[in-house]
Amino acid sequence: MDLSIMIPELLKALPLTLAITFTAMIAGFLLALIATTFRVRRIPALSQLADLYVSYARSVPVVLQLFVAFYGLPLVVALFEVEDFVSPNVAAIVGLSLYHGGYLSEVLRPAYLAVERGQHDAADSLGYTFLQKILRVVGPQAVHIALPGYGNSIIYLIHNVALVMYIGAADVMATAHLVMERDYNQYQFETYLVLAVIYSLLCLVAWMVVRFFETRNAKFAPNTAPAKATMMASV
Amino acid sequence: MFDSEVLLPDLWDILGAVPVTLAMALGIFVFSTIVGSLFAMVEYRRVPLLRELVVAYKVVFKGVPMVIVIFLAYYGLPPTLQFLTSLVGIDYNGHSTPNWITLIVALTACVAAFQAEVVKGALNSFDNGQADAAYSLGYKRSQVFRRVMLPQVIVAAIPDLANSIMVIMKALSLGFAIEVVDIFAQSQLTAALNFYYLEAFLIAVVIYMVIAYLVTYAADRMERALRVWA
Repeated sequence: MDLSIMIPELLKALPLTLAITFTAMIAGFLLALIATTFRVRRIPALSQLADLYVSYARSVPVVLQLFVAFYGLPLVVALFEVEDFVSPNVAAIVGLSLYHGGYLSEVLRPAYLAVERGQHDAADSLGYTFLQKILRVVGPQAVHIALPGYGNSIIYLIHNVALVMYIGAADVMATAHLVMERDYNQYQFETYLVLAVIYSLLCLVAWMVVRFFETRNAKFAPNTAPAKATMMASV
Repeated sequence: MFDSEVLLPDLWDILGAVPVTLAMALGIFVFSTIVGSLFAMVEYRRVPLLRELVVAYKVVFKGVPMVIVIFLAYYGLPPTLQFLTSLVGIDYNGHSTPNWITLIVALTACVAAFQAEVVKGALNSFDNGQADAAYSLGYKRSQVFRRVMLPQVIVAAIPDLANSIMVIMKALSLGFAIEVVDIFAQSQLTAALNFYYLEAFLIAVVIYMVIAYLVTYAADRMERALRVWA
């Protein structure tokens, strides 16, 4: 096994992994915002739908969610009578976005509710609209409370990106399988160790970024303690 | 495209895998809670050297995705077992270890790191004044632990423990990579026979959601029944 050949080869697939991660991060965040808004405002039918979506994202294994996206998306696309453009990469992005959005909604909603009741009331009595209330009063405080949970959810997203190879996306894991097979499957254990290091480093970087914002944010909201986020794996 | 006629036969097929999945999940839950509690006690009692080791263990197993841990166990466990048994002088072919044992070992190792956190949180929620009161009444250390601490700590941990059961259920779905058949793997096998993939997966989705609902419902009931409202 030659690490100096294997590692660059694995890193060549890293851009795809990162692209899927970042797209899912952004799309998932938007989805989470929408779902959380429906849920905290208790809009009749929509809030129940959002609840169902969140419990789907949280109680179904991510592999299964990816497969559902992979086989289900073509049907959805056919409904709109567009040409089928669903590749494994698209399915991976959609599946992970849905997963991340649902998971994140369960981080944002408690953070929104954890902001002191009086702040909500004060903003309401001053005639702020919902959007103004979120942007000017509740949001900045909720960010501080939600950050640890958000950091966890990013780490889970990175972990779960390792699963996209099962629906055929050519990410780092899939490349590792190619590398192993080329060596007649002699060095499987070692290759997985290298993968473990790569994913750990990704998580470390993500954790440090979130940590930076946590300490920076503590200056602006010194009186509210950040939520204690029990880290419980999510697969 | 979507055939609703296969739904019912598929459901019976996939339901067949539910007992095995639940049994494996329960086993992993018990083992990982025991290991996690030991870790948490080490941290709670501040045992010098062991404490650093536990922290290192937690960092490693939280940073690495579970799939990779499972594959590492799949390729690493049999030789290790064979080596260890040869040290004791038993002739054992490590490569005859069934895959489900490998999966249980790998997931126990992963989940224990998270269980340690859950138990530690529950231990920290314990009010130390009660321990002082018990000591002043002449309780021994073991009595304080068993009669005062444990009943409260268990109740405090119920929601997180229920959550971890669901996490284990979901993590078992990664076992299909090493040929262990759980709900998800069974849905894939069923789909492979009749090519109705989406239908089989939707059935699996429903089964998982129902199980999650039942688990949270049971945990809520249990917590409400056990908690002493002050």
